[in-house]
Amino acid sequence: MAETKANETKTILDDLARNPITVGILIGVLAAFVQGLLISAGGPEAYGFCVACHTRDVVNDAVNAIAGTKLAIAPISLNAILPILTVIGVLIGAFISAKVYREFRTKTGSAISYTWYLFGGVFFMVFALFMGGCPYRIALRVGYGDVIAFIGLLAIIAGVLMGIKIATAIAEREG
Amino acid sequence: MAAAGWLSKDVAVIAVPIVTILLGVLIGWLGQRSGFCSIGGFRDFFMFRHTRLLYGYLALIGGAFIGYFVFWLITPSAFEHFFWYLTSGLTPVPGAPAGLLVTGYIILAIIGGIAVSLIGVLLGGCPLRQVVMTSEGNVKALVFVVGMCIGAVVFTAWISGWIVALLKGLGIA
Repeated sequence: MAETKANETKTILDDLARNPITVGILIGVLAAFVQGLLISAGGPEAYGFCVACHTRDVVNDAVNAIAGTKLAIAPISLNAILPILTVIGVLIGAFISAKVYREFRTKTGSAISYTWYLFGGVFFMVFALFMGGCPYRIALRVGYGDVIAFIGLLAIIAGVLMGIKIATAIAEREG
Repeated sequence: MAAAGWLSKDVAVIAVPIVTILLGVLIGWLGQRSGFCSIGGFRDFFMFRHTRLLYGYLALIGGAFIGYFVFWLITPSAFEHFFWYLTSGLTPVPGAPAGLLVTGYIILAIIGGIAVSLIGVLLGGCPLRQVVMTSEGNVKALVFVVGMCIGAVVFTAWISGWIVALLKGLGIA
């Protein structure tokens, strides 16, 4: 009996985890909560979750430590004993979840596709840092009341429409 | 004036890696279960009128606003510039290259936003999705994440300085 109840709770929690709306609200609220908790260590504001900036902080901090360079990182990562590790956490959390639900599958690609993805990643990061964040930090900044981030969001929508046009054109050409 | 949060500075500097890695593990788990994707949300909506992921992204904006608003009411000192537009006008929250004029920031946001989502649509996902797919065993996504790491150094070491110089040269910084 107790076991059925525990299983029911588990199913309900997993239903919530699989629903993007609850996930979105939770990430947003937690990002705000983390700012309340940690802002004394340093800014910037609306920095609770960002795949681009947080990756930059970890990578630049590591490069600075190894090569003795002085690449810029966010004040909060500079002041703390270790930089913001959210992205490392995402890698761990998604891996555990994929293993638990047996969704871990090694998928490889062709050499040419790796080249595209490598340059895609490089340019993605560069352009994300142009606007000071990936689409996640843009969402947080819009919620924080940043008009420039809202312009960035409109640009993201425009880019998606262009991307769809290009993808359709490529698909049609390849028939 | 330094912003003051719930933890004192001495404690917060130690808590930063611990709290953020825990937050990351949770987001990674949720991201894997839900297939959460920001750019994918817009793509699915415009291509198929699927709203599942799009509502997730809109919920993120809403959740962030509610979170910031409620916690700002409780502890204003931790959210000094909330609501940003009312306290700081048309400047962006720090993070982009510093010291530009508003026009410069708008241009960077437009170029950055369009390029980011073009790449996202063509390579099948926003950065969170790529990181999650890496953990699901997708080697292409792993290569993308490695590219992001290289891009971070390339941007900070060179491109950031070039942009500021270029925009200053054009008189919009």
